[in-house]
Amino acid sequence: MAAWPATMVLTCAVATGRTTQRDGTIRHSRRKVLRAGALLALGGAVAPLAGCDPFGPDDPAPGPDPLAPLVDEALALAGAYRDAAAAHPALADRLAPIAETHAAHAAELARIARVTLPSASAAPASAAPAADPDTALAALRERETTARDTATRACVAAPAERAALLASVAAARATHLEALR
Amino acid sequence: MSTPTPTPTPTTGGAAAALGAALAAEYAAIWAYGPIGVRLTDAARKAARDAEAAHRRRRDELVLQLSTGGGQVPADRAGYALPFPVTDRAGALRLAVEVEERTAAYWRAAVAATTGADRERALAALVDCAVRATRWRRTAGTTPLTVPYPGRPA
Repeated sequence: MAAWPATMVLTCAVATGRTTQRDGTIRHSRRKVLRAGALLALGGAVAPLAGCDPFGPDDPAPGPDPLAPLVDEALALAGAYRDAAAAHPALADRLAPIAETHAAHAAELARIARVTLPSASAAPASAAPAADPDTALAALRERETTARDTATRACVAAPAERAALLASVAAARATHLEALR
Repeated sequence: MSTPTPTPTPTTGGAAAALGAALAAEYAAIWAYGPIGVRLTDAARKAARDAEAAHRRRRDELVLQLSTGGGQVPADRAGYALPFPVTDRAGALRLAVEVEERTAAYWRAAVAATTGADRERALAALVDCAVRATRWRRTAGTTPLTVPYPGRPA
């Protein structure tokens, strides 16, 4: 019997994920850019470098990051789950971990989009959860479905270095739907 | 220019390597559901059969895709060593969760290495693995039922 590939599948899963990201061409080229920048700086060519800065003052300000709306959506979802858990203590065990996941996603998405994470209290107040637990769960399922689709579209459209995170966000939302069944 | 039927895109470079790795993971997952299934009964055994069938479909798609691209198609092995002995229902359910989580990690890597329709397929496979892992946790009575980042290396 051969070893479970095992050592491929069961241990290298971790290594493969990293390798793909670390050895991705984006990072490689970024290293090259940095190296080129260092050489130019040594040569005293600082002014041309500043002129090449894509976000420099000569260029129009870049538009909002496409992930910014996903940050807001994740925060709003975290709030909706927290509100529902508070209104229906019997559901809290199921809903609290999902609320935490959405909050963690919001923080991670804000980090890579380089937007400031709004405080939870600044998030727009969402409608109060329904008094009936089944109705409250149905409302969460509907919002989760929309959010899963948002993340799926964002993943497919994203550059490689963002695709894996967005894929995990989309997958997590799909598992939330399963957990709410 | 339009073509009447979709032409398979050759899969090369990093995408081929990532999909080849996903194929190796699918082979192992299919194999693992054998020892898992024999320790389960009734609905859980049926779920194991369904999961195995889903992994077989992914395997077949990958073999077709990789061979169409003219690249290397990794071969299956005669058997695989399990990460821990599976002697009862609890062990079988634990292994099922682990198989799905680890297969998900390969698909997540494939998402980053591909674009377009290939990425959509890899994402769908990742989602399927993650959802099955959640179902197995429910069957096992494990909480929480979900993890924050399915497929992300710990």
